[in-house]
Amino acid sequence: MASVTLEHIKKEYDNHVVAVHDFNLRIRDKEFIVFVGPSGCGKSTTLRMVAGLEDISGGTLKIGDRVVNDVEPKDRDIAMVFQNYALYPHITVYENMAFSLRIRKMNNEEIHKRVCQAAEILGITEYLGRKPKQLSGGQRQRVAIGRAIVREPQVFLMDEPLSNLDAKLRNQMRAEIILLRKRIDTTFIYVTHDQTEAMTLGDRIVVMKDGYIQQVGTPQQVFDTPKNLFVAGFIGSPQMNFIKAKLQENNGKYTVDVLGIHVPLDQEPCDILKAKKIYSQDIIMGVRPEHTAVSFEKGPNTIRSKIQVVEMMGSELHMHLTTDSGDNIILRLPTIDLTRDQRASLKSGNELYFTFPSKVIHIFDPKSELSLLYNENEDDQ
Amino acid sequence: MTTKKTSIPEVDIEIDQEKGVIREVKTEKYLRSKKNHEKHVNRSIYTILVIMSIIWLAPFVFLVLQSFRSYLTESGGMVDYVIPHHFSLDNYRYLFQDGMFFRWYGNTLIIALVCAVIQTCMVLSVSYALSRMRFRGRKLFMNVVLVLGMFPGFLTMIALYFLLKQLGLTQEGAIPGLILIYCASSGMGYYISKGFFDTIPKSLDESARIDGASRALVFWKIIMPMSKPIVIYTIMMAFMAPWGDYVFASYVALGRAESYNVAVGLYRWVNTNDYQGYFTRFCAGGVLVAIPITLLFMFLQKYYVEGVTGGAVKG
Repeated sequence: MASVTLEHIKKEYDNHVVAVHDFNLRIRDKEFIVFVGPSGCGKSTTLRMVAGLEDISGGTLKIGDRVVNDVEPKDRDIAMVFQNYALYPHITVYENMAFSLRIRKMNNEEIHKRVCQAAEILGITEYLGRKPKQLSGGQRQRVAIGRAIVREPQVFLMDEPLSNLDAKLRNQMRAEIILLRKRIDTTFIYVTHDQTEAMTLGDRIVVMKDGYIQQVGTPQQVFDTPKNLFVAGFIGSPQMNFIKAKLQENNGKYTVDVLGIHVPLDQEPCDILKAKKIYSQDIIMGVRPEHTAVSFEKGPNTIRSKIQVVEMMGSELHMHLTTDSGDNIILRLPTIDLTRDQRASLKSGNELYFTFPSKVIHIFDPKSELSLLYNENEDDQ
Repeated sequence: MTTKKTSIPEVDIEIDQEKGVIREVKTEKYLRSKKNHEKHVNRSIYTILVIMSIIWLAPFVFLVLQSFRSYLTESGGMVDYVIPHHFSLDNYRYLFQDGMFFRWYGNTLIIALVCAVIQTCMVLSVSYALSRMRFRGRKLFMNVVLVLGMFPGFLTMIALYFLLKQLGLTQEGAIPGLILIYCASSGMGYYISKGFFDTIPKSLDESARIDGASRALVFWKIIMPMSKPIVIYTIMMAFMAPWGDYVFASYVALGRAESYNVAVGLYRWVNTNDYQGYFTRFCAGGVLVAIPITLLFMFLQKYYVEGVTGGAVKG
């Protein structure tokens, strides 16, 4: 168990492509941290630098108090789970798990004890005598995790460990990783492109794009107060709606003019805006699909729209709407509150009214794409 | 429905409005014509293959048949018939009684075995390094080797002979000399095994390195056991080249019968002795030379094919 500190870490390839720019992060002891971002954002590269599989072009990497920039992977006391499992195909599951211990010249008794223990935690005891080829995807993934567990490493690295599994198995393994984490309390660095995995697993999330950290925070922070347009759009599914709007200030009271209606802001965002000395200006307003109020009849402050597509998700409907101004909006509508008639009227081509509750509005500057409501003090790197 | 009078069978489609799909309908006529077509194609292919295999096999059959013609009761030289009047093992008996043949056979075996070991180690380590490691000049090195490989080895023959002569590795020292020649450039044949190593996921190496293995350990414990086909292929190639070599062996050992390999020795028989008398014994020697290679191929054929098509088969 150890903290991991990345100070001004940079990765530049021989062809001068910079994959990671000035990466600063302090990962606390026993923390579960998730790097998330679209492909090519540098998350895997950063992880591989921590593992020692990629050279670090600049900056300092510390595991615990030890600078490990030039330390061989085998001497960093880390374990890693790969996306494609990377099991050794020619030896049995037992030997796969024992491999690292045998290299360390551990005695057979201890090896047996550790392998059996890990196998039991992961429920793979009965497969110990099999070769990796004879296992299913989920079982292979467990073996890969088991191989890492037996080492009892200081830091546990996982590079998209669930992306090769089908959806159902992925959910199951995700839950298992949460349980596993409770049992083997150590530092985890987990890389994924799936925001659901990031939200459910991480103590803190590092959202990355184009080699830059976009935001670091707890899942709740990242979801509630995204720092910029990218984070707002990346976290949450379906993605947040963005609409061009105007911010109006009047005697310390702020309203947002959007799609022909006026949405007054609550006291808290007003205070933040006032403190930042932001007055009337053009903005991009962000609203999550679940944060809208739908009505079936025209009201005083409602926006009229036409239903384009209705996606039935079971417990909720995803409605793709087009407003009169031509903006496309996605709404989430729980089915449980709807009457039979209401549900019948939710058909493509019909009209639907909605409005934005003031509490859950995000405001972004169109030029800098930064959130105007984001408080810099919340940075948690 | 349209009918086209070409050899391409007609295909009709049917639109299923209910399910909203377009389906291909294969008419009976189409199916019948397809079957006939296949029959004709197969017939001509097989005819060509049979003719080719006859041409291919004829020399071997001829060689084997000649080796059973006795040089004592019939003729040891060329005759105007193929099948011997009496089958006899006289030629083989002669080979087993004649000391020289076994000497040559042994020479060849020693050279081939030693080369197989050294070359395999060299080829595999060069290919692994080129497949896995990135170092300055790697691309240049591979290109230079590619270009050098296009020059026939015989170009170096005379220079090599004088080099070996200075080192005392001709005539009496022909066996170590030949081993040196065969092994010297063996690393250049890295292409196929590099291709094979390239198909083994790099994450296996990385995983093993994180598990605590050094590069050498990764190579021996992880990569080698997974690369059986390519190891066997490399061994076979390394064994066969010196086993069947004539050109280099003939001039390095020139003039000293004890140092000949079997190809040179047999050729000397028919060339300098008397080919009308030694021809059938030459054939018998040829059969004995072919036996180990044939056995090797029969048992390792599976690996050989996997090795050659290494790119397509994952280890």
